[in-house]
Amino acid sequence: MNKHFLLWGIIFCSINCSGQKKIALYFENIANGKKIVLNDCVYSNIFGEKYTITKLKYYVSNICFVTKAVSEIDKKVYLIDASKGDSIVKRVGRKIKGISFLLGVDSALNCSGAQSGTLDPLNDMFWTWNNGYIMFKLEGKSDTSKADKNRIEQHIGGYKGAYKTMRKIFIPIDEKYFMNKNSLTIQLNLDEYWKGINEIRIAENPVIAAPGVLAKKAADNFTKIFSIKN
Amino acid sequence: MKIRITIFLSLFIAVSLLFIGASKKMQVPTPIAFIIPKGFPKPATNIFAKNKLTEEGFLLGKKLFYDARLSKDGEVSCASCHQQFAAFATYDHDLSHGVFNSFSNRNAPALINLAWMKEWHWDGGINHLENQPLSPLSATNEMGEKLDTVLMKIKADTSYRRMFKLAFGDANITSERMLKAITQFVGSLVSANSKYDKVKRGEDKFILPEEKGYEIFKANCNTCHIEPLFTDNSFRNNGITLNRFKDVGRQGISLDNKDSLKFKVPTLRNVGLTLPYMHDGQLKVLDKVIAHYTSLDTALKNLDPLLKRKLILTDKEKKQLEMFLYTLTDTSFTKNKRYAL
Repeated sequence: MNKHFLLWGIIFCSINCSGQKKIALYFENIANGKKIVLNDCVYSNIFGEKYTITKLKYYVSNICFVTKAVSEIDKKVYLIDASKGDSIVKRVGRKIKGISFLLGVDSALNCSGAQSGTLDPLNDMFWTWNNGYIMFKLEGKSDTSKADKNRIEQHIGGYKGAYKTMRKIFIPIDEKYFMNKNSLTIQLNLDEYWKGINEIRIAENPVIAAPGVLAKKAADNFTKIFSIKN
Repeated sequence: MKIRITIFLSLFIAVSLLFIGASKKMQVPTPIAFIIPKGFPKPATNIFAKNKLTEEGFLLGKKLFYDARLSKDGEVSCASCHQQFAAFATYDHDLSHGVFNSFSNRNAPALINLAWMKEWHWDGGINHLENQPLSPLSATNEMGEKLDTVLMKIKADTSYRRMFKLAFGDANITSERMLKAITQFVGSLVSANSKYDKVKRGEDKFILPEEKGYEIFKANCNTCHIEPLFTDNSFRNNGITLNRFKDVGRQGISLDNKDSLKFKVPTLRNVGLTLPYMHDGQLKVLDKVIAHYTSLDTALKNLDPLLKRKLILTDKEKKQLEMFLYTLTDTSFTKNKRYAL
């Protein structure tokens, strides 16, 4: 709790001398046009498959507010968890063109051995039998799932060659966006996960739990999954 | 006046001594050097680059390695399947026992010269030695325990708190530190003092059958089992067909059909002690391994190209080869008290 107050404290101390401004960055997860509520709410994908969500976690790293000049890349790795509501404090300068980030964890961090914080294997986002981070994890239930207990387990990972699943995201932002705003909310629209570029049907693939063709297919949908909340 | 000076001086000395004593208590961990044995290549990557090898870290790693409480039923430690007298393999077990009398699907590999590898496990699924303990700790047919429970057990033990403090400067117990400590121990398991090594260093001599066996070895085996590590750390299909566990080996990690039934080339160091052999321990004794290679069906699909050439050895030559392989036994390794509990 204290940590949160501290965060807000920093945000309200706003504009500093270099013309940069501190803002709060939020990730909000939506499905069917509504903010995702875990466990109870029933959602439906484009194929009419109804499902509930018990877990939604994903890594976001290399966040960068892109400007015309050289932009600073934040090397921190954030773990966005739909069961929590953390914000990320960022500094933005003038004349920004957009925000870019990596959905997932870059290759080097996938083979750097034991790590702490968001990369601690305690976060349950690391494969112990075929080492590498799970970039995106969605779990839930659906009557259309033929897997054990009708479960949905979309564990999307893989960092090598053709099967890599981290994706660079760029979203343009209006230059004047932060003139009278102190925060930015990026929305992940889960509807796009099932049908972005590729089709992922719960009936066909309720469980994806290893790197490979399927995980890559799902990862290709990440590129269209994010937008800015107005 | 003199007395006063003496009192002052002795007080000063006493206080200084106390200060030195106190600072000794807070002393930093004692670094230890990782020594590359004479004739060994430099490891491709330094596994201790971001995990400074220290005496305290090594000892903590050893304690964790031998601690069966970390497993779900409290019966299985790392050392259960990696026994020192078997060069840290499981002696005379094709498969190892996990918690609740379960069986693993593979033969426990010997922990020898791990610092020279780049990928670990029979299929190379481990990309950094520090990650390796996560696999046996959590596998339901090995130690079967959740990582958070493992850490809870460690935190509950005051001797661990003391040892973490000695190794890392404070008593904070994290998964990263636990994994780094275990790596310090297992990464330090170096075997380089067998009769073979002594012969190479000019301290000993092969007897004739060993000498003949070495010639046979050099002519037929050392393209994969390259000296002095006796492995090239590659993955190869050596003609062992798909087993009852449908274990495809490397293909499961690389997702490449060409890697079907490829497994890691194991080191032959201490091979006389690491029986039974192959990834599922299906060959019980060493002469069966030699017989496997001399009776191999060279028409097998996906067989390693190096094995396509038929290996023909007389019974005498087979025995000589076996005699040479026994010279790779390093009792100073298997009896090293530093590695023992």
